[in-house]
Amino acid sequence: MSKIMRSTIFDVPSSLRITFGGPMVFLSRTAHNVRAPRIKYPLWYLQRERAKDDQQLTGDNRAFVKEAVHDKFGMPAVIHGISTYDVRSPLSEDSVECTNVEWNPKLQRTGLIARKLGNYPMWLNNGKSVLTTLLQVIDNHVIKYIPPDEFNPPRKPYSCPNHKKQLGCLLVGAESADPQYFTKQYCGLFYREGMMPKKYLGRFMVSPEAALQPGTPLLASHFRPGDFIDVRGKTIDRGFQGVMKRHGFHGMPATHGVTKSHRRGGNVGHGGEKGRIFPGTKMPGHMGNRYRLHKGAEILRINHKYNVIWIKGIASPGETNSIVYLYDTILPLRKHKSPPPFPTSKVLDNDQLIDSYKEDVYKFTEQTITYEEDK
Amino acid sequence: MSTIFAARQFSTSAVSNHIMKLTRLRVVDNSTIGKQAMAEGKPPRCIHVYNKKGIGTIGDKIMVAIKGEKVKAIIVGCVKEQKPNIPRFDSNNIVLIDDNGTPLGTRINVPIPIVLRTILKEKTFSKGADYTKLLAIASNYV
Amino acid sequence: MLLRNVNFHRFQCGFAPGNIPNFCTVLEHALLINIFLTVLYVSRSYSNSPLPDVQQLSSDESVSGKQVKPERKSVVPSNSRFIYPEFLPDPKIEWRNSLREKLERMDMIQRRKHIDIPEFYVGSIMAVSSSNQHAPNKATRFVGICIQRLGCGLRANFTLRNVIKHVGTEMKYQLYDPTIQKIEVLRLEKRLDDELLYLRDAPNEYSTFDENMEVEYLPEGAPVPVNPEMVKLKPRPWRARWERKDMKGLADLGLEDRFYERAKELATPWEKYDLMKQYRKTIPEEEQKEIFAEVYSELHEVEVMRKKLKRKKVFIKPTKNV
Repeated sequence: MSKIMRSTIFDVPSSLRITFGGPMVFLSRTAHNVRAPRIKYPLWYLQRERAKDDQQLTGDNRAFVKEAVHDKFGMPAVIHGISTYDVRSPLSEDSVECTNVEWNPKLQRTGLIARKLGNYPMWLNNGKSVLTTLLQVIDNHVIKYIPPDEFNPPRKPYSCPNHKKQLGCLLVGAESADPQYFTKQYCGLFYREGMMPKKYLGRFMVSPEAALQPGTPLLASHFRPGDFIDVRGKTIDRGFQGVMKRHGFHGMPATHGVTKSHRRGGNVGHGGEKGRIFPGTKMPGHMGNRYRLHKGAEILRINHKYNVIWIKGIASPGETNSIVYLYDTILPLRKHKSPPPFPTSKVLDNDQLIDSYKEDVYKFTEQTITYEEDK
Repeated sequence: MSTIFAARQFSTSAVSNHIMKLTRLRVVDNSTIGKQAMAEGKPPRCIHVYNKKGIGTIGDKIMVAIKGEKVKAIIVGCVKEQKPNIPRFDSNNIVLIDDNGTPLGTRINVPIPIVLRTILKEKTFSKGADYTKLLAIASNYV
Repeated sequence: MLLRNVNFHRFQCGFAPGNIPNFCTVLEHALLINIFLTVLYVSRSYSNSPLPDVQQLSSDESVSGKQVKPERKSVVPSNSRFIYPEFLPDPKIEWRNSLREKLERMDMIQRRKHIDIPEFYVGSIMAVSSSNQHAPNKATRFVGICIQRLGCGLRANFTLRNVIKHVGTEMKYQLYDPTIQKIEVLRLEKRLDDELLYLRDAPNEYSTFDENMEVEYLPEGAPVPVNPEMVKLKPRPWRARWERKDMKGLADLGLEDRFYERAKELATPWEKYDLMKQYRKTIPEEEQKEIFAEVYSELHEVEVMRKKLKRKKVFIKPTKNV
């Protein structure tokens, strides 16, 4: 069944695809010795989808509802290569909160929500080819800002329960969708800001100086080529796997009297006092479908027309077309050396700037690479 | 059924064409010992690869057993799949050298990958062996 | 249109077990899909064996070039997918994304504006000159027969093979590598197979080509000739069990009967009737048309520019001598 579902996701009209989202349900088969599986609702969780029984609606009524939606939020439009709605939030006029705070390395900026598009090779100016991953920033808008004092998440950090409240919470949404398909409560999240409901929500911890007005659009130019980012996403779900695939064990020999345990892990315990299995022992189990962080990926190129970011390497988690979250990197040596756009970049009206590259990346509009002897 | 599998002594996986210990190689310079060995139909065998993997590629130094002697050599071409812009050959070619890196022959009769220039220069140190002499006796680069 | 129908039914079928308890309906849907697919399959069945129908197609094209011009419907030549195969994305559904493919195509066209990537096939004899980091200030040239062509998009690559000084040498090139300065096709032809890897097990004379070979021009509009040369392999051992590979360009292998019997046991002749397998392996014709309609105008412009430049060069030469 699940196979069929997965193969059909691509054919579903985009308006219906939202039904696959939902609360993060951890599978009951995960290793219980690590952390108990449970449903973790985010702070703002409200029931999102409603039962779709529009059987009662006549064609006229349906058309009327559609018209009302378009009147309120704007007509469907293709913006930055994404079919969305031409939303004009009343608050988005002064898009960046002009607090005139200078950037310094201790301030934490917001992140972005992106879709992983896949990967293809690019070349550097020295002729070396590098594999890149494409991430598209999909119609991001700031939904809400919760100041540090009011922010009270249900789960506190394990390490320091009495931690100082220094960071506020910025709620960012991606991909506008037709409100007909959502519950009233969920639409209420966006109502005050005059935004359309968003298909995906993300929470970013920001310094109060980096807070943004609700309705502010976030673009790929939030980062610059040459910056390093962290990419957080859900890894590919591989189901229940053995130790060879899950942990890279070597298995056992094919011959030499080995029977029925060619791919087994072997001994897991000790003897005597230690006669038990230690917690955290690597064993078969569910592999993938967990959030993982790819740290320190370098940005090679940014396309401002489609809001696409090229990062070096193909290690970012998730399948093609899955949702990932982008942050400024936490690796101390790869943090910003020069001030980035703070709190975020402004919307550019300059249509000329389509691509910006890191300086050592080969642009396909350039001439063929030739080498000269340097002495 | 299991006895059949247990008795099977050969590998069924794809051939990787690695140069490792006991690989037969082909001498491509005109040193007397190399020529004789090839003419007698007793090509040299690799008995050691001087790197940490134990699998040799272009530019690696190896030790070969040739006509009952131990001689050092440099790999100048491999059968195994290579990256783009690096040639792949139909035979595993080596050039015999002495301890100082000086080739035993005076001429190499086959094409040699251009990458060798950079690789051998990197491996040469001021007080160690000088491998770049090998490049001087090559006749053809690919 | 057909494709859309199929998608629709697939979609319904995928959701049916959840919504409709009646299993028969699901079966019905499956049947419907089959019917649609068969129709689809028939509509593009000519594409499955590339060699014979290329001639057909090119003849079609020549007809369209002369007579059917006023229609303005089929501007894109129908054999585009053989000339520019790397513009078609990987058909694996998990890896597909329309925007990524579009950006990739834009980059490819940008590169094609700087370098002429000609039409070539496996079996053509080519020369590639490229700048090399290890030999600065000059270009290296490699001549050989194309034995393999793989990959799509910017990953597209091909392998050339030649025998230099009695040693078989192969070189793999990426088609869109910016260090490549020039790609020439010295002899444009096809062989009987899609991959000529068996030349590695053939005597050297089958893959020996002169480095100073001159370009052989075909008359304009002529179909690409197929070289029916049969290759006689060296005796075993080989790099692959060629008797099992069903190669058309191999002469009698001279093996014992048991080899052929085993090959027959392992053959899977039914696979060519597996419609779903065919469907998953190929990009549907409708999508191909969309892709080439998007790309072709720019490609054509580049080609026309290049032809003009060529003509200019021809005119300049005699004046220089005078």
